[in-house]
Amino acid sequence: MLKILVCVKQIPDVDLVKMDPETGNLVRDGVPSLMNPLDTNALEAALQIKERFGGTLTAITMGPPAAAEVLRESISVGADEGVLVSGRAFGGADTLSTSYSIAKAAEMSGPYDLIFAGKETLDGATGQMASQLAERFDCSQISCCTEIESIENGVVRAKRQLDSGVQTVEAKLPCLITVEKAGFIPRLPRLNSWLQSKNAPITVLDENSIAGLDTQLIGVPGSGTIVPKIYPPQLPEPGQILNEGSMNATVNKLVELLEERGVL
Amino acid sequence: MNKNQYRDMWVYIEKEGEKVAQVSLELCCEIRKLCNETGEKLCAVSFGSLPEGELDKILECGIDRLIIVDGSGYEQFNIDSYANAFTVLSRKYMPSAIFVGGTVDGRDFAPRFAVQLNTGCTSDAMELVYNRDSGDIEFIEPAVGGKIMAVITVPVLRPQVGTIRPGTFKYAPAGRKENVETVHEVIDFPTEKKRCRVVSFTPDYKDPELDIADCDVVVCVGNGLKNKEDLERYRRLAKLLGGKIGCTRPLFDRGILPYQLQVGQSGVMIKPKLYIGFGISGAVNHTAGVDADVFVAVNSDPDAQIFAYADYGIVGDMNKVCDTMIAALEAKKA
Amino acid sequence: MEGKITKTYNKVSPEILEQLRSVVGDRRIQFGEAVNPVYSHDEMPIYGKYFPEVVCEAESTEEVAAIMKICSENNIPVTPRGAGTGLVGGCVPLYGGVVLSTSRMNKILSYDMNNLVVHIQPGVLLCDLAADAIAHGLMYPPDPGEKTATVGGNVSTNAGGMRAVKYGVTRDYVLAMTVVLPSGEVIKLGKTVCKTSSGYSLLHLMIGSEGTLGIITELTLKLIPKPAYDISFIVPFKTVEECIAAVPEIKLANLDPQSIEFFDADIVEMSSRFTGEPIFPVNMDGTAVAASLLVTLVGDSQEALMPQIRQLGQVAAGAGAMDVLVVDTAERKKAVWAARSSFLTAIEAQTRFLDEMDVVVPVDKIAKFLIFVRSAGAETGITIRNFGHAGDGNLHIYACADDPDEAEFHRRAKIVMDKSYAKCTEFQGQVSGEHAIGHAKKEYLRESVGDTVFNLMVQIKKVFDPLMILNPGKVCTNLEEAE
Repeated sequence: MLKILVCVKQIPDVDLVKMDPETGNLVRDGVPSLMNPLDTNALEAALQIKERFGGTLTAITMGPPAAAEVLRESISVGADEGVLVSGRAFGGADTLSTSYSIAKAAEMSGPYDLIFAGKETLDGATGQMASQLAERFDCSQISCCTEIESIENGVVRAKRQLDSGVQTVEAKLPCLITVEKAGFIPRLPRLNSWLQSKNAPITVLDENSIAGLDTQLIGVPGSGTIVPKIYPPQLPEPGQILNEGSMNATVNKLVELLEERGVL
Repeated sequence: MNKNQYRDMWVYIEKEGEKVAQVSLELCCEIRKLCNETGEKLCAVSFGSLPEGELDKILECGIDRLIIVDGSGYEQFNIDSYANAFTVLSRKYMPSAIFVGGTVDGRDFAPRFAVQLNTGCTSDAMELVYNRDSGDIEFIEPAVGGKIMAVITVPVLRPQVGTIRPGTFKYAPAGRKENVETVHEVIDFPTEKKRCRVVSFTPDYKDPELDIADCDVVVCVGNGLKNKEDLERYRRLAKLLGGKIGCTRPLFDRGILPYQLQVGQSGVMIKPKLYIGFGISGAVNHTAGVDADVFVAVNSDPDAQIFAYADYGIVGDMNKVCDTMIAALEAKKA
Repeated sequence: MEGKITKTYNKVSPEILEQLRSVVGDRRIQFGEAVNPVYSHDEMPIYGKYFPEVVCEAESTEEVAAIMKICSENNIPVTPRGAGTGLVGGCVPLYGGVVLSTSRMNKILSYDMNNLVVHIQPGVLLCDLAADAIAHGLMYPPDPGEKTATVGGNVSTNAGGMRAVKYGVTRDYVLAMTVVLPSGEVIKLGKTVCKTSSGYSLLHLMIGSEGTLGIITELTLKLIPKPAYDISFIVPFKTVEECIAAVPEIKLANLDPQSIEFFDADIVEMSSRFTGEPIFPVNMDGTAVAASLLVTLVGDSQEALMPQIRQLGQVAAGAGAMDVLVVDTAERKKAVWAARSSFLTAIEAQTRFLDEMDVVVPVDKIAKFLIFVRSAGAETGITIRNFGHAGDGNLHIYACADDPDEAEFHRRAKIVMDKSYAKCTEFQGQVSGEHAIGHAKKEYLRESVGDTVFNLMVQIKKVFDPLMILNPGKVCTNLEEAE
């Protein structure tokens, strides 16, 4: 029986987030939340492993109470339970402190044999969370996974898609895996499990309920990085808009200009 | 932690076979400039020694010191041994910053030794600025889908760790220094501590159409594209111009083009002579990946942000403009 | 044959060309060699390519009126055209002359938030109107599959789409319009009110008349408040028969679905090959899925819809569904509707020759009809692919083949089409649900409605367009060119 963990995150739909031109703040009001898209592929990979090799699957996330929604979403497709790490003390965390907080919380229900995580989030986009989680869990790591071939004798064998080709690797359990999209297209929930997930109990852990948690290592104090400033992207001086009347004339003008610049 | 005790900036020298990865050279050149400002030394860190020609390339970037890690466990890349070596070396030499190319391997192991060292790690900065008042490096990058620019710093902890995407900085060697110190460090990493091993590797067939990083002409297509079948005309235009097509993230997300063609901060960085963007809104995370001699934008929305980056813009239906361009270029050839 | 009219048109002379040019200016006119070949066909070039002598892109009612006046005085045929996304050759200039494009008349003019109406020009694209209405907190209910069609084109074909089962079709949302008659006279039909009992409804005659009676130059459309919440369900079945049989049960369960779409395993496979994203199930717990329904419910919130959702589950189980899959999140909806919208494109991309039919049959005849068409296809060496709006019996059926040459394909496709349309008539169905007649389906229309009705249509055409210059050769008129 494998113990499997999947780490998911609720993010705002970044396509709909706007920056207030006056204040420079991000406007998130009314912006719908969703499970980070690459996390849905990680969840699918975890479900496939659970079905193939047997085991239990726990979904974990850190965020405000509303983030329980992504745990219910995980349960609706086949996760067995959800753990929400939530509390003011965790606020403002970067990947250094988030990875610590999640790993400590997961210890409460662990240890886990396999941990799945999304390759990158759309909102933070650091792409370093998975590696830092692997370090926190002190486990091996397989990134860019396209296929899990076998799990035998405490070793997982998998294929990875690299820039130049396909690598086959073997890693000792416990192992943290991030997957590519193809091959792990997320399934849709079945109505009955979806209905049940609406009332499924979620374990909520705050800073006081996690054993052995060093509060100096969580939230802002535990973060290595800060964001002292955000600003709207500086736009360069706009170029020349061509309009010679008809489309033909305009395009001919462009071709002429490109020839002058020697790029044709 | 006293920040001032940490000095000098390091660049990890990644190898592709016997060659030094281009991103490592780009980083050496960029960090050289940063070191000139801070008065620190630039140090390259390599696992195993380098063939002479490759060593010369690094020396030409103006490094002050070269650390060569010897010992067992580094025959090929391994997260456990590589991360451990950086932790050991960093504790010994206390550099103020460590830069690693944002390759698959780099992104796997740099965040891990950052945790081991309990320090801050940033990724994908587009610009590095030294802040004299704080003594920190400002890592500047687009965030939230390119809606904002974020300044990220590591205000207390050291070293400041950053992974940087290939193609972000220019390879412009400053010239070699006279006295470059070479240090050999022996750190043995026992095989049984390696938790992952490579069983086999099968190189992909390299589709030349998917290699756009060094292409002279790139025709980029954005979310304005309504149907997959409309792509054909852009392929044709690219071919007429002797170039290839690229795309923005939404088109990759929609499964219309493969990720190798996604141009931008989290995709490929391109530096073509001519870039033509069709139906692209102009979010910074895309434009940050484009360093073109001549930048042309086509969009039906006259207020689209992409026009701000363009040398020349045409307001109009992207398909119509493309067809007209094809006709004009074909007429020219005939 | 009735409806066959002998007619000779004049060619566009240099003088007439100058007159047209004086209306639209240099930039919005194409003639002779410079005419873009796209104006010679719509999305079914298989029905033949016909080039216009001149293309004029009008920008206002006044320009359309001026062009019609010039053409009626000079006996030049005029074919109105929107985005050219039709499937029956409706916008193709069979007799040359002028193609009058409304695609530049693409302004959304104003909203009347008190009466929930929008005034637009006919060249506004459906996708643009839909998005703009949503941005105003409103919804334009008609939702035909082709989102880049013009709304003018939708009105001219009385397009329906996926939401018709709940909201009805385009006709139900047109309150008023401005029309330029073939003579160049401008008339206004309808008012911004919801009831009328005031004489023959010429407004409704114009809707679905495919640009043969007049050219629509402005539209007043009814909108509804945007539903606060929607959720979709995929209901897979082991057999096509069970799948179709579930449709009336879902309709009877009082769930008031916004849409009930039907698709079989074959089209799912083509679509996932095309999009690279297999989202619809092909297999449930080891058993192959033969066909699925996609059901969408709308309401104030998820909580408010819970009783309907549970009931849908019960109805589906009772009807023998393999399970019910939930499409609740924005990402899932995006993936599912992208796949649904790719069906036709996926077929086109993977088929060499293709002919189509857009019949409507009573819902309880859908399964029988599909089985009939499939066997007719099999007998003739034609592959039948289909999907459709199961909720209202509107089926999009495609006759596909890769092997024979084009002439042989036409011959075989015609056999299948002849048999199928005859069957459709026998089942008391309609020749077209939303793609219209154009010039491709005229004979099937005549067979379906009978001579008396067909002749009445011809007489109506003559009243509006005695000179037969507006979109000649479409719907019900067959012209014979004089020597």
